[in-house]
Amino acid sequence: MDQHIEFSGYSISSTDLVRFVVITSLTLSCILITAFSLSRQGETIFTQIFYFPLLYAAYFYPKKGFYLACTCAIVYEGLAYLFVVPSTSGVIYTTGQALLFIGITAVVAYFIEKVNTSEARFRSIFENSLLGIVLFDQNSFAIRLTNSHFEAMLGYTDRDLSHMTFAQLFFLKEDRQRFFENLGSSQKITHFETCFVTKNNKPTWVNLSWSRITGNLVSCSIMDMNKYKLAEQEADENYAQFRQLTDGSPTSIMILRNQIIVYMNPSFKAFSGYEPDELLDKETTPLIHPEDQDNFLNTCHLAETQSPLPGRSEFRILTKSGETRLAKLFFTRVLQKGAPAVLINLIDITEQEILKERILQDNERRHSIISSCAHELRTPLQPIMGYIEMLTQDPETFGVTEETRIILDRCARSVDREREIINQMLELSVLDTGNLYLKYSQFSVPDLLNKIIDAGGYRENAEITIDVPPDLTFEADENKISNVIDSMLSNAVNYSTPPRKIRIGYQTSSYDKLHRLSIQDNGVGITDTQLDEIFEPFQHPDNGNAKRRYDRIGLSLSIAKKYIKMHKGYISVDSIVNIGSTFSIHLPKQKASGG
Amino acid sequence: MTRKIMVVEDDQPILELMDLLIRKLKYEPVLIANGLEALEMVKREPPALILLDIMMSPINGWEFLEKLRGEYNMREIPVILFTASPSIDEKMALLNDPNLGVLTKPVSFAQLKAGIERYLI
Repeated sequence: MDQHIEFSGYSISSTDLVRFVVITSLTLSCILITAFSLSRQGETIFTQIFYFPLLYAAYFYPKKGFYLACTCAIVYEGLAYLFVVPSTSGVIYTTGQALLFIGITAVVAYFIEKVNTSEARFRSIFENSLLGIVLFDQNSFAIRLTNSHFEAMLGYTDRDLSHMTFAQLFFLKEDRQRFFENLGSSQKITHFETCFVTKNNKPTWVNLSWSRITGNLVSCSIMDMNKYKLAEQEADENYAQFRQLTDGSPTSIMILRNQIIVYMNPSFKAFSGYEPDELLDKETTPLIHPEDQDNFLNTCHLAETQSPLPGRSEFRILTKSGETRLAKLFFTRVLQKGAPAVLINLIDITEQEILKERILQDNERRHSIISSCAHELRTPLQPIMGYIEMLTQDPETFGVTEETRIILDRCARSVDREREIINQMLELSVLDTGNLYLKYSQFSVPDLLNKIIDAGGYRENAEITIDVPPDLTFEADENKISNVIDSMLSNAVNYSTPPRKIRIGYQTSSYDKLHRLSIQDNGVGITDTQLDEIFEPFQHPDNGNAKRRYDRIGLSLSIAKKYIKMHKGYISVDSIVNIGSTFSIHLPKQKASGG
Repeated sequence: MTRKIMVVEDDQPILELMDLLIRKLKYEPVLIANGLEALEMVKREPPALILLDIMMSPINGWEFLEKLRGEYNMREIPVILFTASPSIDEKMALLNDPNLGVLTKPVSFAQLKAGIERYLI
């Protein structure tokens, strides 16, 4: 490597410095010899000696060499004038010599410059190439020249490579043999794919193109294919996984690109009845119900171009046999061969919808039966209730004794209870049909509590504490909430023994989205196993033990649960047997949308 | 002269009971089991109030009401639907009739009294 020498701000390589000294000393020697010989003999001798420094300079520094030639010509001409002026022939001769200096040096400099430029051009292509380049001997395969890209590609240094043959670079013997055959048979080969061995003895994928350049020399370009090969392998694996997933998927899957079907899985084939070749590369038109066509294409377009995706929707799909099936479609944006496409998962919900419809019809029918039953059951209650009342309200007129009156009162209570059961049965059946709607209003909770307690006469049976903020309001269906609280208070009174204590409390915080109203009693309590059952219709938490009965009629808590659920809230129960129960109503503070 | 309260009801035991209860309330009961006959009677002698059952034949309570308010043009007579049928609220709301009330069977004497007093002109 050249060593650089610095002086007074200039940097000069040691090679340049040596050349400078040689050229300068040669030039000065030439001038001195010429001056000496001219002064002695009056004629020019040894003018050719100038060509040593001039050609030397022109070879290494074409431009500077030319300037030096000009300088030498002037100096030589000056010396000639000084010593040989009287001789006209001498002047002509020396002028010719001086012009020759310039001319010959210029020609040499011109060609040297030209060679240098093309050499530089070649160098730059050779070194900056994104391909690895190797020059090797056709017969011995000895590596003559490599560029740094090639060295980096395989991890060798140029020194390593200078001891190697090109044939050694092949990872597989078979490939080496193939290379020999190709090299022998043809002057020029492109895209010869093979595996080279790196310095770490690892295979790396390359693509070779070679041609014979001069004599025995072969130039070979090497493209690094490793990244592409690995990516290709990975893509192949991914694709295989994708196929396994989709081919084995029980849901029907298809991929659309520009509204053209480019893929469908076996489940889709089974669902639609179409063979792949009947649908692939075609539009979806025959598959989608005409009325759903626009919506479907629009959703596909949205899924293909926008995020967030429109998600899932229901569409009517026409099968090959002409059947219309209802399907839930899930749209996902995917890339298919680099272009945006839509992957559609299809779930057939026809049966589900039929079942749903049937359940609704069954509920309606049951409701209608229950309604008729209720009518038939209530009608005979009217005379029973009326006559009992008549007798008990006016005992003297009808000669009713005190003893008889007590019996009649018991009868009246049973009639009352039956009436209540019928009402609750009806309510539950209406709830099941889903035809009950909430009438939202804003109401004061303490006012409502007092109203319920007064109407139910609960204070006569229990000591009730209301620990609720005086300005608390709910936004809900007041009648339904009233019904729920009434059921809970009624249960609290019915399933405890005096001294009954009931505490109505309220908990929430500004972060809490729910009102939490609790009704705590000191009653019989409910065991853990009974907790789930008490909200089911016609369940008693008694396990055969009459004392443990909660919710006498068995329906009020089911109704309460459904009412609160309609408000998008829930009811929870904490209970310890023989200590008491706490029923909590958790009700959204904001009116639930869609409720 | 005591005011007449008409009971249109095809259930005999209830008619018998209503006879007693209405008398007890100091009104004059007009008991009738057939809606069409009842309409004719209303035309001849309009009562002060009608207690109307719904599930009847040959015409049901709703049809009775429609004829009464429509072709008989008796919009002022208060009518209390006296029924054991559930879910009649929606129909009631549709009619939007200020002189129409409802009592769900079975009713207590007190409820009957309150109902009649509320709608009686």
